[in-house]
Amino acid sequence: MKWWMLCKVAWVALQVNLMRSILTMLGIIIGVAAVIIMLALGAGAQHEVDQQIKNLGGNVFVVFARGRASSGARGASGSVQTLTEMDAEAIEQQIPQVSVAAPTIWANAQVIYGNMNWAPSVRGVDNRIFPAQNWQLAQGREFSAAELNSAGRVAIIGATVQRELFGASDPIGQTIRVDRTPVTVIGVLDAKGQNTQGNDQDDLIFMPLDTVRKRIAGMTLASPRAVRSLIVQVADERDMALVEQEMEALLRQRMRTTGTDAPFQIRNLSEMVETRARTMQIFNGLLAAVASVSLLVGGIGIMNIMLVSVTERTREIGLRMAVGAEPGDIMRQFLIEAMLLCSLGGLLGLSIAVLVTRSLERFAGLTAIIQPEVVLLSIGFSALIGIFFGYYPARKASKLQPIDALRHE
Amino acid sequence: MSQPVIESLGLTKTYRMGSQQVQALAGVDVQIKQGEFIAVMGPSGSGKSTFMNMLGCLDSPSSGEIRIQGENVTHLSAAELARIRNRYIGFVFQQFNLLPRTTALDNVLLPLLYRKDHDGTEDFASECLHRVGLAERMDHHPSQLSGGQQQRVAIARALVNQPAVVLADEPTGALDTETGLEIMQLFQQLNQEGKTIVLVTHEPEVAAFASRQLIFRDGRLQSDKQVQAESASEHLARYRAQKQQEGLA
Repeated sequence: MKWWMLCKVAWVALQVNLMRSILTMLGIIIGVAAVIIMLALGAGAQHEVDQQIKNLGGNVFVVFARGRASSGARGASGSVQTLTEMDAEAIEQQIPQVSVAAPTIWANAQVIYGNMNWAPSVRGVDNRIFPAQNWQLAQGREFSAAELNSAGRVAIIGATVQRELFGASDPIGQTIRVDRTPVTVIGVLDAKGQNTQGNDQDDLIFMPLDTVRKRIAGMTLASPRAVRSLIVQVADERDMALVEQEMEALLRQRMRTTGTDAPFQIRNLSEMVETRARTMQIFNGLLAAVASVSLLVGGIGIMNIMLVSVTERTREIGLRMAVGAEPGDIMRQFLIEAMLLCSLGGLLGLSIAVLVTRSLERFAGLTAIIQPEVVLLSIGFSALIGIFFGYYPARKASKLQPIDALRHE
Repeated sequence: MSQPVIESLGLTKTYRMGSQQVQALAGVDVQIKQGEFIAVMGPSGSGKSTFMNMLGCLDSPSSGEIRIQGENVTHLSAAELARIRNRYIGFVFQQFNLLPRTTALDNVLLPLLYRKDHDGTEDFASECLHRVGLAERMDHHPSQLSGGQQQRVAIARALVNQPAVVLADEPTGALDTETGLEIMQLFQQLNQEGKTIVLVTHEPEVAAFASRQLIFRDGRLQSDKQVQAESASEHLARYRAQKQQEGLA
């Protein structure tokens, strides 16, 4: 019998027991919908993480200076050295894969403008911070060489700081006080928004390294050019592992240290974000696994109903065999029926998944991405379930003896 | 007449029921020739149904042979037997066995759908429905047809593959007298047109319309005789006249 005829026969059979067909499909519908929704939410979360990493720069290391717990234990006190601006230069020059290494110092300070005050994160930087972290200026300019060399009293402020201190008025050229130091605003950064942990990335102020080192209170650094961290950007993401090794070796050599307690720590920002994302993905994967159990249960339901169908239609099978249906024809007929049942269930599940993810995006503010391959996979998988669970009933039907089937009451 | 359309040679069939062996057929030799109209009779348990199932390749014998147009079909596989049935045999059943929710035309078409070489045309199927007098009912579903009409659809289905032999198992068993006579009239007409028909019945009145009677008893062929067939048309006319008189009286 031709394939399209078999499909027609299967379609008629499903229509005859419409309610039963729908109830049977329910397991597949729910399973497919759940799997697609979970994977869509997972893909959405991944997409957000990718955006974050892009903002951070997916090819960025942060080297932190780690204060040595006890200085004299291993070497003479003079040999103790924390991270410095020279380390940044050495990394830039000696590791060709590094495009930029930006030294930074972090501090917290009260910032006052007129009667407004705010407490952003204060960063001592030079102009290398802009390429290293993909910062763009919304207004104003970067630091001049003179300002950097002579601890100039200037600042570039983040979007949040601008909003909190200045509101709608133009901040450029205005003088703000950072702790007790008056500084002039020379630029405003483009907004980046929140990062994955929900922290506001725009709540900061950039000032020249020396300015922060000398004028903002509480900085106790071992060397006059010491910094708290280096932000290292690698030109090609594929070189990350190599650069990490070389940087480690270079810094150890420069600091003359070999032990496990190196006075610095290299962290891969995208790795940090990804670790968090992976936790979420594992969670989603787990849910998807639970959802596929529903697919399995749905498949067993299909098998059950197909067995009932074979029993109910034994006489029909007998008749078909009598007029010339070969065992293979009968087998195909029931397999196609099971497949049709599952594929329709899959399609309905897909529609439900689309509806649910749309409303989740709309009303819960989640990002959900239904990937085309997930759609193909789940529809294909449900058809496969049809074949798998339809096989036994179909085989049972095809093994019937025509004479017994015809006599069946 | 050259070779028989179907013949059985030393046909036996033994069933096992629990620990008991039941011999349903104990060596039956029958030759059926082109154009014959044969009635197979006998009490229940006589083996007549088993014999019919063997002729129709629905069941296989314990020993002996079935030959269809000279070809031994005894040891063929299930799929090969299906092809033989599709090619050479037309079945008519007591309970019609039509597919519900399928039109008369599609029911008649069914055997052709299982042919690999079928081109999808419905011409011959509708011709067969014409032949049994249901040209106006092609698109009706079985539930919209009377018992007699359903049996006509079944007969059209048995004709559509142009079989070597039509096997009818108690075709009038589920019908009233008049409709039964109409069906027998149709069988006689088909036989006159050259169809070979084998009919199982336990009613002598029905068997009387055939020209050869096989009587089974205890798994053996008790008698095999040519008879003068009565005319179903005459019976039908007489029956209707009688009914009319009763109606007037």
